Amino acid sequence: MSDRLERLVNLTATLLDTRRPLTLDELAERLEPSYPEEKAARRRAFERDKETMRELGIPISVESVEVFGGEVGYCIHPGDYYLPDLALTADERAALHVAVSAVRLEGNDAQAGLRKLGGIEGSGAPPLAQLAVAPALADCFDAVARRRTLEFTYRGESRLLEPYGVVHRFGHWYVVGRDAHRDGPRAFRVDRIEGAPIAGDPGTFEPPADTDPAEYIRDDPLTYGDAKPVSASVLVAASRAPLVVDELGEDAVVERRDDGSVVVALQVVNREAFRTWVLGLLEHAEVLAPADLRADLVAWLSAFAGDTA
Amino acid sequence: MSRRRESGVRLQRVLALVPWILANPGVTVSELAARFEVEERELEEDLELLPMCGLPPYTADRLIDLVVADDGAVTIRLAEYFERPVRLTPAEGVALLAAGRALLAVPGSDPDGPLATGLEKLERALGATGSLAVHVDAADHLEQLRAAVERGDQVELDYYSSARDEMTTRVVDPFRIFHAFGAWYLAAWCHRAGAERLFRVDRVRAVRETGHRVEFSDTTVSDGSDLVYRPSPDDPRVRLRLAPDAAWVAESIPTEDRVVRRNGTIEVVLAVSGPAFLERLLLSLGPAATVMKPVEVRAEVAAAASRILERYAPTST
Repeated sequence: MSDRLERLVNLTATLLDTRRPLTLDELAERLEPSYPEEKAARRRAFERDKETMRELGIPISVESVEVFGGEVGYCIHPGDYYLPDLALTADERAALHVAVSAVRLEGNDAQAGLRKLGGIEGSGAPPLAQLAVAPALADCFDAVARRRTLEFTYRGESRLLEPYGVVHRFGHWYVVGRDAHRDGPRAFRVDRIEGAPIAGDPGTFEPPADTDPAEYIRDDPLTYGDAKPVSASVLVAASRAPLVVDELGEDAVVERRDDGSVVVALQVVNREAFRTWVLGLLEHAEVLAPADLRADLVAWLSAFAGDTA
Repeated sequence: MSRRRESGVRLQRVLALVPWILANPGVTVSELAARFEVEERELEEDLELLPMCGLPPYTADRLIDLVVADDGAVTIRLAEYFERPVRLTPAEGVALLAAGRALLAVPGSDPDGPLATGLEKLERALGATGSLAVHVDAADHLEQLRAAVERGDQVELDYYSSARDEMTTRVVDPFRIFHAFGAWYLAAWCHRAGAERLFRVDRVRAVRETGHRVEFSDTTVSDGSDLVYRPSPDDPRVRLRLAPDAAWVAESIPTEDRVVRRNGTIEVVLAVSGPAFLERLLLSLGPAATVMKPVEVRAEVAAAASRILERYAPTST
């Protein structure tokens, strides 16, 4: 095992140091501990090494070599490899260590990243938060950072996105940006992206100045959709009034009744989301207006009431 | 861990370790072990390996020159090509930023402190300034409950139990507060239930100190490795058949025993933490969900629908 590690260190050093791409034969001639003599075994061992290095983020460049046509050579461009000096202070490293120990994400990527920034500093912190992870998140983030378009399937439809940012909200990751097919701002749940997204070439778009990705996520599911909003009023029983006022804010209250109940006003675009919200309050709420939303709810519930199996 | 995987882990460590030693000559073995979270013995193995590494043809002037002095001070020469660590992978970059942004969003964090400045440097290096945000909602009693956890104060809560749709008052011994799934939770020993319980902080209506202090030994509380809600094994189970457009239920609620049928419908089993939870879910799903087992649940949901409909009956107003 030490032999393999030694070879991996030497391979990384050699590929970083070389001024021209080296073919596998050239590498095998030079490297110690040496690769197997037999061609197929040598290729397999080298491919394994390459894969291990790529998993760690080591950017191995594969380039064609001007010898017997078809041959490729390998090298590492120092500019792709070296982490720029972030000039972090010890306090800043300690603060990042606190963050990484307090906020949990699945996997060890944050810890691995911290080691590259100079390892742990200070004593860390007990767990305070847990964030969701999604397989496509790293691809989405890379596309944001390098201005690459993203092509993916979402709810069975193909999408082309100029991604401006990633946002964690309501316990999920969203990737937000301009949907190029529909020419408008959109937010997509990263965990609902089907398969691996395909990223375009770097630097193919420029996000509008002062983009705040968080603004792409709408606060209120009731306003999702393109229909014209209607104002609905809902009577909430005294026992649940404080919870609802907390949720909607004092501004939503249009009437306080003597029995402690309140009437609140909501702007509704998405009727289903509105129904779900009202039903969340069970028998403690009643839709007062408009008449059609009230009738919708009565019809919806009546379908159950017949179900007395 | 497989041996192959272990080589990767050690390579990763070596490529971070060497630049640090180059930048901080004289750093001791024990400092390095603490900084890179590794046993001293393991670290010594890495350090013993390095003098055998270098560039072809592996003559003395091409090998890494590493010296560990008697007092443990480490110096390195002839390894200029490892002067800087490897760039962060996108997964590492997003994980670091996410953890940092999340902590910075927690009420009470210093918006101009070292975490904020460190994150700015990190974002600039990644070319991702302002492109990652983590939203952490504040909740009314958050600060008060965090203080209670820190001091070990027993408190009495007025709490709205959503699963049972009832207001309750209970004495609890709080031991942890955390944010998960977009909400704050308080983990506490509940004297009313006689068991450990999770409370959503935004459903806490009032907090009163009882004047008692509580002390937990490490063995009496769960260790925090598991911040996630797990259905109780004692909760009743319900089997549902979901139409394809209700598939989100299986993503949003912990489900067990999930089967996708050929026609696109999904059957799931879920734990019912309280009757109101199930009533809300089934009433809002409507025809998109069918209760398979136990069938009595259908009548319970029908009864809930009737209870709500009474509000709309012409005689009730």
